[in-house]
Amino acid sequence: MAHLNKSDALRQGIIIFVFLAVLTALEFFIAVTLEAVALLVVVALVKAGLVLYYYMHIYKLSQEADDEDEDRHSLAYKTATNRLGLWLFLLSDSFVFGGLAVARFNLLGLTRPELNQLLGLAVTSVLLLSSFSMNRAEVSMEHGDRKNFLLFTVLTFLLGAGFVAGVVFVEWPTAIAEGVTPSANAAGAIFFMMTGMHAFHVLTGLIFLFVIWNNGRRGVYTQEKHWGVEAATVYWHFVDVVWIFFYPALYLIGKLI
Amino acid sequence: MKKIFSSTLARGLLWQAVGWLVGALFITGIRALMGLQAIDASKFFFTEPAWVFGGLLGALFFIGGSGIVSDWFKWAKGEETSEHHEDPAGGEKYFNLSLDHKVIGIQYTLLALALFVIGGTFALIFRLELAHSGLQLLTLQWYNTLMSLHGILMIIGILLGVSGVINYLVPMLIGAQDMAFPRLNAFSYWVAVPGAVLLLSSLALGGFDTGWTGYPPLSARAPVGMQMFFLGVFVAGWSSILGALNVIASVIRMRAKGMTAFRMPILVWAAIATSLIALTATQLIGLSFQLVMFQRLLGMGFFDPAKGGNPVLFQHLFWFYSHPAVYVFVLPGLGVISELLPVFVRKPLFGYRWVAMSSLGIALVGFLVWAHHMFTSGMNDYLRVPFMYSTLLVAVPTGVKFFSWVATLWKGKIETPTPMLFVLGGIIVFLLGGLSGPPNATVATDLHLQDTYWIVGHFHDTIFGGYVFPFFAAIYYWFPKATGRRMNETLGKIHFWLMTPSFLVLTLFMMRIGLLGMRRRIADYDPALGFDWYQLIMTIAGFTIALSVLIFFINFFRSMKHGEKADGNIWNSRSPEWQVPSPMPVHNFDQPFEVVGEPYDYGLTDAPYIKFAKSTHK
Ligand SMILES: [Cu+2]
Repeated sequence: MAHLNKSDALRQGIIIFVFLAVLTALEFFIAVTLEAVALLVVVALVKAGLVLYYYMHIYKLSQEADDEDEDRHSLAYKTATNRLGLWLFLLSDSFVFGGLAVARFNLLGLTRPELNQLLGLAVTSVLLLSSFSMNRAEVSMEHGDRKNFLLFTVLTFLLGAGFVAGVVFVEWPTAIAEGVTPSANAAGAIFFMMTGMHAFHVLTGLIFLFVIWNNGRRGVYTQEKHWGVEAATVYWHFVDVVWIFFYPALYLIGKLI
Repeated sequence: MKKIFSSTLARGLLWQAVGWLVGALFITGIRALMGLQAIDASKFFFTEPAWVFGGLLGALFFIGGSGIVSDWFKWAKGEETSEHHEDPAGGEKYFNLSLDHKVIGIQYTLLALALFVIGGTFALIFRLELAHSGLQLLTLQWYNTLMSLHGILMIIGILLGVSGVINYLVPMLIGAQDMAFPRLNAFSYWVAVPGAVLLLSSLALGGFDTGWTGYPPLSARAPVGMQMFFLGVFVAGWSSILGALNVIASVIRMRAKGMTAFRMPILVWAAIATSLIALTATQLIGLSFQLVMFQRLLGMGFFDPAKGGNPVLFQHLFWFYSHPAVYVFVLPGLGVISELLPVFVRKPLFGYRWVAMSSLGIALVGFLVWAHHMFTSGMNDYLRVPFMYSTLLVAVPTGVKFFSWVATLWKGKIETPTPMLFVLGGIIVFLLGGLSGPPNATVATDLHLQDTYWIVGHFHDTIFGGYVFPFFAAIYYWFPKATGRRMNETLGKIHFWLMTPSFLVLTLFMMRIGLLGMRRRIADYDPALGFDWYQLIMTIAGFTIALSVLIFFINFFRSMKHGEKADGNIWNSRSPEWQVPSPMPVHNFDQPFEVVGEPYDYGLTDAPYIKFAKSTHK
């Protein structure tokens, strides 16, 4: 929330992160102790709602939307148009992930392939941490604190790169060693397709992070004018929201095959 | 000629060829190093992964090499770019990168017309084959490939034609200078070009025999051409998605002062409805095609029952887009009908609000009907009933449009210049398409009609009535707006009076022999069925349509230079774009306008729709 002062905004980011972390732990606990699919879906929806509202600021879409007399060449008006365009893109993109989720439940129903649970939880935690650090980077920029913006952008980049490396170089070989391969059966195919499509999006997010870090370093962004930072932030959190659903869909929901 | 070779188009195509080769050689090299089979004579020299990666890289090279994304790269480097981009004066601007929505709209239209010519020619070839039972002209594989490519080229052509009409008109109709994101707009157009090249390349790579639907398991083992089809649709799909994003953002953010939702032109409503479908559902055809591509490349068993996959899943994902896609085709066309009818009847459009909402209604209901294509697929029986009812429900908002058109025509002073002829023809043909629909939506009858020529007749009626006739109407109507000259009336009328009766004969015969047992998508039929003379007449009708379209093209290109001058409001329209001189000025409206009345109050005195801020032109 741009109206908050800096320390309140930072505190809010921390509180949301704590909520998300607790919910993730709860999710994991629910999955290992009882098979409550509905509960897992509810937890995922709550997590996604928190990220959409507090980290992605979805409410900004409805602000200044129908102010007719506003100067259309003003920065605020153009930024709001850009924001609408970005969210429309995310809406479109979410149909890809929705389609993959549909394919997963169509093919596997309430069963799942055997995967390394601790690894799954580990990469999920890394991505969650990166969302928190992304939030701090954005809040820093909104208050003109370039030093912390750069620091947290680098941190987010490293965590994101860690996530991709964890999935591609640790999780995939582990799964393959346990017989979950792309060509073995439908379960393997869907696991690699879902994680692959998601990792591809994280990878593009890393490119955006590099761009805003590079531009931030050269002083392109100011406290008032930093649409690029906002866009990269929202995109990054979107990729996290996707994982909020994919993680339980792949690792937690259903009986082992 | 030299200018053509240095154009964005030529450079893009050159880069695409280079990228294709680089990608294919790269994969071939890697495979050779890994000790895998590097060359595959049965697959036209390269292996399938090499062809696919090459195709993808070629499309990326087209985009990167022709300078379409260079502004975005500058932004990424933190550099500013100029807000405006000057186009060259002559016709060469249509072969070069332009950020002007009017130029892009015409670029889309020209590319669409080119694809129609190619796809139409394919139809003529296999129609010739069908004129007589037995195989005379084509092999089975060539028949299948031409039939499949006819389908997909026409579909991509229609999507581009829709984008052409919307791109050219929507910013003018809402009083904007351009689209919300001009660079994205240019990107959306240009990405379709390598997509079209990929589609056509399947001809050289063994073709494909699945029809445009690409169902596995057949598509999982068709020739390499199949992959080019998948890749081409995927790449061209981005044109549709990003174009739709731009339209929605532009309409929400850039309308003229006073243009509330219920004062927008009907075509703008239609554009919004169409764009909502294209923005979201297109992703699912892209996904379903990607899944088959990966199944072929990596052996991933999404649709392979031997690995626990499910071929019916493909059909669900595919039709979730491909049913609503027909509304992407027809909604703008129906919007054009509603837009032009009041102009030539000189009466207000009947039931404006209902017509506006019906476009959205059709789009939303359209998301819930996809499985009516799957009544015989082996999906769960109980699913048939809800999908039957949801499909029949589409008739309600569509019926609203027909009521409005009939009531608008009622007791009007009907004039019939060429655009109006095509509007009336469109209404009649679309009515035939609409009436032949419910039998396919109803499970009991569809079980017999599925995969017969009846379906082919029904489909062509809906698409000609809902898209092709209105598209021609739109070209005849807005041609003067774009060029300052009008098309020849006599040639236009010959076009109409040749095309309409032959088209009706063609599709009515299709439905007739379909009911008698003619299967669709087959190269040959038993002479004992007695269809030979029907087929011969249908082929003659098909060639007559082609002749009429040839006359249209002669008229189109001749009128650009030699047409009668028409720089004013020649149709006496109330719409904003006709209140300024033709051809449209570069930045549309020098003075912004304000909406002060209802859009379709034709025949009423003292009821202006718009008012310019200061003195108006002319
Ligand atoms: Cu359908």
